[in-house]
Amino acid sequence: MSMFSSFTRELRFFLKQPAAIVLVLVAISLSVFSVWSGLSEVERQQETIERLLVADAKDRAAVLAKESDYGGAAYYSFHLTYDPPSRLAFAALGERDTSPWKHRIRMLALEAQIYESDTANAELAQSGQFDFAFVLSILMPVFLIILLHDLRASERAAGRHDLLVATSASDNNLWRSRAFVRVILLSIGVLIPFLFGAMVSGASLLSIVSVLGIAIAQILFWSFLCLWASARSYAGPTIASGLLAVWMLTTFVVPAMSDAFIEAIIPAPEGGDIILTQRESVNDAWDLPKEATMETFVKEHPEWAEYAEINRPFEWKWYYAFQQVGDQSVADMSEKRRAAILKRDKAAQWFAFLSPSSLTERSLTGVAGTDAKAAMHYQQHVRNFHGSLREYYYPLLFKGAAYEAITLANLPRFKALSDRK
Amino acid sequence: MSNIVVEARNLSVMRGQTPVLSDINFEVRKGEVFALLGGNGAGKSTTLHTFLGLLPPQSGEAILFGKAVHSDVASVRSKVAYLPEAATLYGHLTAIENIEYFLSLAGIKKSSNEIVQALDRVSLQKEAHNQNMERYSKGMRQKTAIALALLRETPVLFLDEPTSGLDPVAIDEFNQLITSLAAAGTTIVMVTHDVYGACQVAHRIALLRRGALVGSFEADEGGKIDTETVHAAFAERAAS
Amino acid sequence: MTITKMIAKDEWRYWWRSKLATSVMLVGLILIAGSSILTAKQMTDAAHERAHLQSEAEEAFFSQPNRHPHRMVHYGHYAFRTPPPLGIIDPGIDAYTGDSIFLEGHRQNSAMFADRQASSELAIFGALTPALLLQTLAPLLLVLIGYNVITREREARTFDQLIAQGMTPLKIMIGKGYALVGVAGLMIVPLFVAIIFATLDGEPFVSASLFMVGYALYLLIWCIGIVLASTMMRTPSASLGALLAAWVVVAILIPRISSNAAVSLVDAPGKIETDFAVIEAVSKVGDGHNAADPAFTALRANMLQQYNVDKVEDLPVNFRGVVAGAAEANLTDILNKFAEERMQVEVAQANIARYFGWLSPVLGIREFSMKVAGVDLETHHRFLRETEALRFDFVQSLNRVHAEKLTFADDANRSSNPEAEKRTRVSAENWKVLDEFDFSSLPANNRIENASMSLMKLVFWVVLLLVLCRFVGRRAL
Repeated sequence: MSMFSSFTRELRFFLKQPAAIVLVLVAISLSVFSVWSGLSEVERQQETIERLLVADAKDRAAVLAKESDYGGAAYYSFHLTYDPPSRLAFAALGERDTSPWKHRIRMLALEAQIYESDTANAELAQSGQFDFAFVLSILMPVFLIILLHDLRASERAAGRHDLLVATSASDNNLWRSRAFVRVILLSIGVLIPFLFGAMVSGASLLSIVSVLGIAIAQILFWSFLCLWASARSYAGPTIASGLLAVWMLTTFVVPAMSDAFIEAIIPAPEGGDIILTQRESVNDAWDLPKEATMETFVKEHPEWAEYAEINRPFEWKWYYAFQQVGDQSVADMSEKRRAAILKRDKAAQWFAFLSPSSLTERSLTGVAGTDAKAAMHYQQHVRNFHGSLREYYYPLLFKGAAYEAITLANLPRFKALSDRK
Repeated sequence: MSNIVVEARNLSVMRGQTPVLSDINFEVRKGEVFALLGGNGAGKSTTLHTFLGLLPPQSGEAILFGKAVHSDVASVRSKVAYLPEAATLYGHLTAIENIEYFLSLAGIKKSSNEIVQALDRVSLQKEAHNQNMERYSKGMRQKTAIALALLRETPVLFLDEPTSGLDPVAIDEFNQLITSLAAAGTTIVMVTHDVYGACQVAHRIALLRRGALVGSFEADEGGKIDTETVHAAFAERAAS
Repeated sequence: MTITKMIAKDEWRYWWRSKLATSVMLVGLILIAGSSILTAKQMTDAAHERAHLQSEAEEAFFSQPNRHPHRMVHYGHYAFRTPPPLGIIDPGIDAYTGDSIFLEGHRQNSAMFADRQASSELAIFGALTPALLLQTLAPLLLVLIGYNVITREREARTFDQLIAQGMTPLKIMIGKGYALVGVAGLMIVPLFVAIIFATLDGEPFVSASLFMVGYALYLLIWCIGIVLASTMMRTPSASLGALLAAWVVVAILIPRISSNAAVSLVDAPGKIETDFAVIEAVSKVGDGHNAADPAFTALRANMLQQYNVDKVEDLPVNFRGVVAGAAEANLTDILNKFAEERMQVEVAQANIARYFGWLSPVLGIREFSMKVAGVDLETHHRFLRETEALRFDFVQSLNRVHAEKLTFADDANRSSNPEAEKRTRVSAENWKVLDEFDFSSLPANNRIENASMSLMKLVFWVVLLLVLCRFVGRRAL
């Protein structure tokens, strides 16, 4: 008997089972809801960026119009930086609810600005987002467990098992095609809303294929686990309990324990300490002889050695020099913190293999560019931009160029890492 | 020799750690009705399960058409129809849908006309044909399962307590059906604890007690087995 | 009474002999006890650490050398939020909001460094706190243990036998309920121990015991629900399916849907966005560093008139200090207005999410737990308000020193005249204006009052399910 005919047979059989159909319909509607809510969140973020861009340009123009020296211009003009959501972000919103994706910075010490977080309501962040990644990584296993655990046990309980096995030419074929029909219908139902969302948001073919690959891996893992368990000769509820225990441990317990473990073995300098140290340095500069500050500054930036003399009680170049010295004083800590976060992320990648749910979630946020790595890239990008502001202003400040408003037309402009990935 | 269809040769079977059948031997010829008679836990159903390939033998062989069941379960199953004890089919399907589904599992396609005929043959009421089976009585379910077994048109029928749940009229009809099938060449193996029923239809009866054969009876020239003799033997040797 | 007890005892014996039930119970107990110990250690460490940092920050402020008072306004100060005693059970939004804040002149900073940002982000549901375990996982374990309390009897046809012995379905349900409540009771033993520790740590008896009562009520809801579902369904599979579906909806889906709904219904512009409006409003206040800013013309005229002099130099107070104080006051008014608006939006969002507590007891207990423990959004807001008061207080005290202890002439000439500069440095004694900061929970009765609505939600569920039980118990035969 061909695979196809047993598939159509089981499909027809499935379509007469109201309970299973209801479950698949529920799964479909949850997937639709998750895609819709992801799309609308991404749209909200996009709109915010667009509004901010307009307001930012207007604000900077207004501020610069009032200034009469470069130091003041640099002090009062803010620059919006942002990390636009990728075209796939709707499917996995990832870190974007806890890690910042927008900063408005100016040429003061960066370490005092970069840890500001402009994130959403903390009490809501606690509940988490309802996105496609959540449906796939958390709910999909539950659906599969419910649909597959009693494939045989229910027939055994109903007294049909022996007749089914004795009648069918190959009973393995029977269970496989039954499971196959259920898994296929559920998968199609859950994935089609995603494909629709991906089309609406214009995601690249490669990223869509990657997501499908991740989805298939997750679905196959749980399907095979359920099939293996369903072949044991226990009662249905016993099998379901066992599978749910596995799900619960791998979804809640193992990730939380790995998280705590990783944090314990890979210490990261506290952000608070960085800010504190940086502040001390910046504040102390007012009391220190100006030469001391300039010396420290010049050590790192010898190109300004011949312009480093400060004659007046207040000079902008001294002001910005001590801001930079403040950054320098914590450069090491800050570097360590970033390295630690990346190291934690790397460790998490390995630990994720202990939890299919976390692995799925991580892989999806990886493809969608909404993971910790992407957040770090963005942070680095902001650092680079801040550096380019310094590169732009320093010649003007140190060489004491006469103020010309027109020069500021060439101010570095922030360009997002990619417009929309 | 070649007309031996079903054969148990030194057959021993375990369920888990407990031995259920030990060293059983019997032969059933083509067109014969063979009844395995025994009390609860004698190992009747286990014997059937072994011949259906649901249980592996511990030692010895269960042989169908000269081939060990185990060597090729699929080909054996295509030659055997099975009527389980207290057969249940799918409650959310009608009798016709159920039969269609199970036949397609066996790779058989029958017209609905043929299915209706088979249901008539087991005298299931016409108005029930298109009702969901969850409303069926035990007897109606049994009749549907019998119709399914008939429609398989296999050379061998395995029946597990076939008449349980049937009313006396239906039992008579069923016995006639078995006799006519056997006359047409179908080999029938039934297990039962119903001495009277077995004597009605069987050409040969074997007594099973705690997994061992403890007696056997052949029909006389008139094709009958004496109920009294079997009953006495059953009470003496087989009743656990 | 004895009949129901007998049924309960019989159920316990069944569980005791069932490998599945005992292992589920064991796993649950180990998880809850383990996480109680770990979370308690973590939170007490954090409390000590933050208290230590707080006194260190104060120490650092006091030990600053003699200098111009406005320098201290910019030097700034740190405030830390120490977790409340019950935080060892429910850290609440501690991991999602910053726990420290930098206070300085002319600015309101936001709280810094939420733990979540530096974490490896593996844990999709956050850290395994006793609160998360009791709110989310304990019900699942109860379901796995108890889904078949009655369907099992039905399957084995012993239910009919019990009825034939003259028992009513309701009595059987009550007996099974007792048995399950016993399991739930075991599960909250670690909670009880943790609460005792919290009490020793200063948590008042009333709130501590109410906290316990809330969790007991919550698990009771699940016990009743499980017995109810087991009575209404015909087979063990069906009762397990129904209870699992209920758990997924109530514990996993509704919380997320509630936060999505809140975000969709109430638009909360981010800080950067509101900052534009803030900057615009603030620009009208005038620069407090510049006494010649036209924004202070009226102030100057007033002062001159009040002291009946012609020039600011002749004022008995340092006009630059007066301007700094006035500018700070105006600025703070504006900043507070925006901050209040933002907090109100956040509370409005949270309140929408909290309405879902009527639909999901998981949200009900979460709200209750955070409110009684004092780790909710409002507490964070109170922290922001209190730190703002602290900030305004020390900045204005320093501005007063600036106005009263410095002369206008010295202050104005300090950048050109080193002697004048020396005279503008005031003694470090003046840094004592900084108040000690100790963030503590609201009094127990206030927290209880705040939690009353969430307690109602839990009671509502208990009553609703009990009524359903009576209804079902009469018909279930």
